[in-house]
Amino acid sequence: MDSLETFVVESAIDSEQEFYRKIIEDNLASLKLAPAVGRIKVVLRPEDSLFQMVIILRDVGTRVTTIDIADVEAKPVAGEVMISIKKEQYIPELLGKLWERYGKANISQPDRWTVAIITDKPAEEAAFIREMMVADPRHRLHENLVDFAIRATPEGFRVRYHLYKDNRFVFVASEEALKHEWIEEAGVMLDELTEGGKK
Amino acid sequence: MAVLRPYLYTGGVHKHGLLIELMEDLGGYIIQKVVTGTEVNLIMLVPEKDIHIVKQLSDELLGVLIEAPLTGVEIAVVSPTLASHHLPHSACDVAEYLRHPGANTNMIGLARGMGRRVSLSMDYERRLINEHDIAVFTFGSFSDCITRKKPKLFEGIEVPIVVTGGPVDLKTEEIPGADLYIGNIGRVSHRLRRTEEINALDRLNEGVSKIADNIRKQQAKDPLAVLPARAMKEIENQVPEIHRVLSPAPLTLQLDGIRVKLPYDEFHEKIEKMEFDEGVNLSELANIFRSKMKNYILIKIKSKSDVGFAI
Repeated sequence: MDSLETFVVESAIDSEQEFYRKIIEDNLASLKLAPAVGRIKVVLRPEDSLFQMVIILRDVGTRVTTIDIADVEAKPVAGEVMISIKKEQYIPELLGKLWERYGKANISQPDRWTVAIITDKPAEEAAFIREMMVADPRHRLHENLVDFAIRATPEGFRVRYHLYKDNRFVFVASEEALKHEWIEEAGVMLDELTEGGKK
Repeated sequence: MAVLRPYLYTGGVHKHGLLIELMEDLGGYIIQKVVTGTEVNLIMLVPEKDIHIVKQLSDELLGVLIEAPLTGVEIAVVSPTLASHHLPHSACDVAEYLRHPGANTNMIGLARGMGRRVSLSMDYERRLINEHDIAVFTFGSFSDCITRKKPKLFEGIEVPIVVTGGPVDLKTEEIPGADLYIGNIGRVSHRLRRTEEINALDRLNEGVSKIADNIRKQQAKDPLAVLPARAMKEIENQVPEIHRVLSPAPLTLQLDGIRVKLPYDEFHEKIEKMEFDEGVNLSELANIFRSKMKNYILIKIKSKSDVGFAI
């Protein structure tokens, strides 16, 4: 599944559909959710005060280990492990983990792309660091999805239903008490969206 | 009485004092002076027949002098709530853009303005909005809401109402109670920077300027007993405490009054008793109220027909 393989916004009035498409795009971008979303469908019915959204997420569950973002090299003579960073975005997480294990005093950063660790057993530690988990993108995904849903919904629609299971996310919001068929409709939308990608 | 025209001067700080002195000599008024680094913005009222003199000096100082039709207008930018759905885009963009032609804008977020059936405004909020010259309501993207549900927020608003929203094809007449509708400024989650959005903001400024001009024309039929700008200058001279106020625009000019950003209880007597050269007190020429905004003082100047004379 590609990111944003399907991106549908439906509304009775075409122009309003376009506004909401833009709002959803902007919010996906600002929460950095776009790579995580495979298919998304939104249905707007202002006359019923109804907002329905279903999302099928991509597999972003791959955990990031040090070897994915940096080269790790043991320097037995100097008693050091050198880490050359390739992807800067995970540095805060990486440093946090390293500080916890080795202490701040043993870690230096000669420049922005290099981290040096002083240790007695460089080879073993290098092997450990290579396999160390740095970040888990799935961790914050749920939180971000809910935040995204609330930001995208019209503000007055404060009665909400949401379901997050496996890689499916269903969100229904309204100003009135939620009707059961609205949630069922969203379920049907979800099925359609799941099938839509099988061709 | 000399006819005063609003102008905005933008230039370097160097020698801008000459302009202030010139304004004193000509009998014009400096409404607001904003210094940012080495730049200065002067919003001023210039006597119509002397504009060329000011223009000449501004050219000498290598500054830019442009007309600022919204000078001396205080505008309320009202958004349904202060939630991230409406702020900072688009409500702040609207407020910021209205300041370009010289207006002072205040952002007001209603406590319970969101939603279709549940939206409402409080008496306090309505009175606060009515203290302004013009109210700009920033609404969302659904035409159904704008034409049928949101207009209940206009109840009790006595000042002209401008509405912004997403749909482009709506007409002003379709929105009960609105004096002007501007499309293409709906709910967005990005800065208004695309061509059609900037065009919409330009149309908003034009439309609001026209409304302000209409109010001024109505006023000209029965002029105010004293020019708000003159009363403002007198306050600056006679109430020195105003110079220590840190709020932006400590004296905010309105079309028919002034908002004085000093506490009411402490200063209202001093302001009521303020005397003009002609020997009249301000309280004879104006009604002085406690403002709904932060306990400030609100001066609403009476018309000539009320007072019987004008100075």
